[in-house]
Amino acid sequence: MALVVGVVLLMGSGHDPIRVYERMFDASLGGSRAWSVTLNRAVPLGLAGLAVAVAGSMGLWNIGAEGQIMAGAIGATWVARIGEGWPGPVLVPAMLAAAVVGGGLLALGPAVARARIGVNEIITTLMLNEVALRLVQWLIHGRWKDPDSHGFPLAPMLPEQGRLPNLFERAHVGVVLAGVVIALFGLAASRTAWGYELRVAGSSGATARYAGISLQRKILTVLVLSGGVAGLAGGVELTGASDRITEGLSNGFGFAGIIVAALALMRPSGVAAVALLFGAVQIGGQSIQTMGVSSSVSTILQALILFGAIAAGVFSRYRVEMVSGDAAEAVA
Amino acid sequence: MNETDSTSCSPTDSTAHRPPAVELSGIWKRFPGVVANAGAHLTVLTGTVHAVLGENGAGKSTLMNVLAGVYRPDEGEVRIDGSARHFRSPADALAAGVGMVHQEFRLVPSFTVAENVVLGAVDRIVRRQSIESAVGDLAERFGLATDPVRPVWQLSMGERQRVEILKALWRDARILILDEPTAVLTPGEADELGGVLRHMADDGRTVVFISHKLHEVTGFCDEATVLRGGETVAASLPVNGTDASTLAGLMVGSAPMASERPPPCVVGEPMLEVEALSCLGDRGLQALHEVDLTVYSGEIVGIAGVAGNGQRELAQAIAGLRPTTGGSVRLGGTDLTTSTPRQRFIAGLGYIPEDRIGVGLAPRLSVTDNAILRTYTSHRKGPFLDAGAATNHCQDLVDRFGVRTGPLDEPIAGLSGGNLQRLLVGRELSDHPQVVVAAQPTRGLDVQGVKAIQDLLVAERGAGVAVLLISEDLDELLMLADRLLVMHDGRVVAEFNPETARRHAIGEAMVGHVATGAAT
Repeated sequence: MALVVGVVLLMGSGHDPIRVYERMFDASLGGSRAWSVTLNRAVPLGLAGLAVAVAGSMGLWNIGAEGQIMAGAIGATWVARIGEGWPGPVLVPAMLAAAVVGGGLLALGPAVARARIGVNEIITTLMLNEVALRLVQWLIHGRWKDPDSHGFPLAPMLPEQGRLPNLFERAHVGVVLAGVVIALFGLAASRTAWGYELRVAGSSGATARYAGISLQRKILTVLVLSGGVAGLAGGVELTGASDRITEGLSNGFGFAGIIVAALALMRPSGVAAVALLFGAVQIGGQSIQTMGVSSSVSTILQALILFGAIAAGVFSRYRVEMVSGDAAEAVA
Repeated sequence: MNETDSTSCSPTDSTAHRPPAVELSGIWKRFPGVVANAGAHLTVLTGTVHAVLGENGAGKSTLMNVLAGVYRPDEGEVRIDGSARHFRSPADALAAGVGMVHQEFRLVPSFTVAENVVLGAVDRIVRRQSIESAVGDLAERFGLATDPVRPVWQLSMGERQRVEILKALWRDARILILDEPTAVLTPGEADELGGVLRHMADDGRTVVFISHKLHEVTGFCDEATVLRGGETVAASLPVNGTDASTLAGLMVGSAPMASERPPPCVVGEPMLEVEALSCLGDRGLQALHEVDLTVYSGEIVGIAGVAGNGQRELAQAIAGLRPTTGGSVRLGGTDLTTSTPRQRFIAGLGYIPEDRIGVGLAPRLSVTDNAILRTYTSHRKGPFLDAGAATNHCQDLVDRFGVRTGPLDEPIAGLSGGNLQRLLVGRELSDHPQVVVAAQPTRGLDVQGVKAIQDLLVAERGAGVAVLLISEDLDELLMLADRLLVMHDGRVVAEFNPETARRHAIGEAMVGHVATGAAT
């Protein structure tokens, strides 16, 4: 469907749709190099999606993954600055741990406000995005500015031992790390008592209280954890794909994560596949810009493909709900 | 079949030559797995109040929804004032003069009464004051006292219902359907409503009144039609010439009205002791005023009262779901006043909450997940849930309590009300509680479901469990309870012996009139 609409769009803008699609596929999934780039892109998308899905499985909306990614990157950079000269196997884990703490700290305020006095977490997490972005700007324009940058507002490059090692081609170890983290959360959500409590709380708060689950504690831990996962995305992106902290590091991954989580129906186990699809679409979309396809057309194309996926998801569920809705009416 | 001649004693003789306001004939309506109406018919004369009687699930609401254009019948004919109609929507029905007041109100809480009344029924810009005064006039004309400028969220349920009725009248409904209108009303409000409906009928309008409460029907209706199992078993009986027990017999069919009272109880130790318990309601007002009660093991203590007099809060406070502001709760001598809901369950307190879905059961989770809601902490292997043990526990519940269900890993949304309640009650009883608090455990269930749940409670009593049964169904309480307490305004105002108590005295106590000496 999306591809058909895309054809019209590409013809309208004067391109050969077959060649464009071919290029998109080659750039994202054709060969190991393409795969490595797509996988790298899927890592922050997957982790951000996981962050949103963890909160979402309890009915909470973490719209602040974008800022938490930044907070994670700040934490990791801070460790890299004080840990100059540490060996890689110590420095990188310390940076990633600091990234988790950074993201979690940024989510702590909204979490406490929501758990204690019921402040809507959508608004607080969203507003903190701006705070985190400004914080990064303030740091790279000021205290963290590289003295050798000839006046440009740039942070110094990370030391070599502060980078994630490569797996193959461009793909870095973060791919494995993200996969493991997503798998762990998927397991925790579906198989553990903790995940069960989460599902009960997400289904009905009153039922959770009846079952003896402390909603306050659950909201607090889940939102902080969600922030921590998003922070990890920032840490991995920093140590794996970027070489220094920049204003553009979060690159919309936090917002894309919302879409990823929604497409995965808020199930942590579904996040990885959706992130991979999303990553491939993004990489493919970027690649055709070198063919002269304007960036807006490529963005529209990406959006169309995702719309197609959402529509498929909605329709595959819709029939089921129609029937159960009728049955419910009949019982009533 | 339509014994229209039996209606000749209708009080409105002047309308005898006109066609009936409503004529439904041969109405069939099927839903997946359920036949809601099986050839039902109904004839309502203009200017009368007509009762449609039947038990839960008899097809009353479906038939009314057909009349109001909400459902389209699979077969059958709808005639309004003699001409056949095919309603495609409630708007079609309204255009033909048929308005319905649903059980759940459809009002915008933040809008005023006047705004709600005219919502969707004004097609140009109008002055607020003129609408408010017009709504006020309409309300006054029909005796539906309401203040048009007040926002709806501030109104009581009775007042909201008046707003719903005003909505229908504003749209010039000549035929007004009320679906169990008295379910949310106090007896006083119900009487008032009866007066309003009478007034509307005398004004030439037609009222169709759905109920399963017989005394209301005999109070202010002209005729009654009885449905059972989706069919009309008696059409247009004149209420004056029919006694209540005949109607009751028609409603329940051959099944006896009430089964035998269970054998007398063997009372043991005091199990549940509630002392001077106070708590606040949802709106922050005092809902319980120093309630004292004791339930001994092996007895069922019934709590009667008009809805909203603290019964709900009492159950929640005992279960630990509502913070208390004073007093204590003890179970078998152990003080549970500050315990969490889970600690209370482990101490032996089973709780069947009034809201099955949303409190007692988690709607989107599977049957198994719901079955282990209370005991999941014990189905564990390290941090993991033991899926096998959980499934076994669930299967055990399903088998023992006769829950009819599909696959256990499917969401509970597919279960019928009776099976949901069997699952919930079974779960609460399966861990051998010493005390069971049951709030409205049979409300909305069909006859079989009611019987099954009642039998379970009686069996618990026989096993020495202390049962606190809160119900709005006085017949149920009189049949099951060994002692009957009546609550009014957050207090226990009277105690009766169900075997000797006079209904009239209980009813008086429910509205707060306790004759000196009636309480024992």
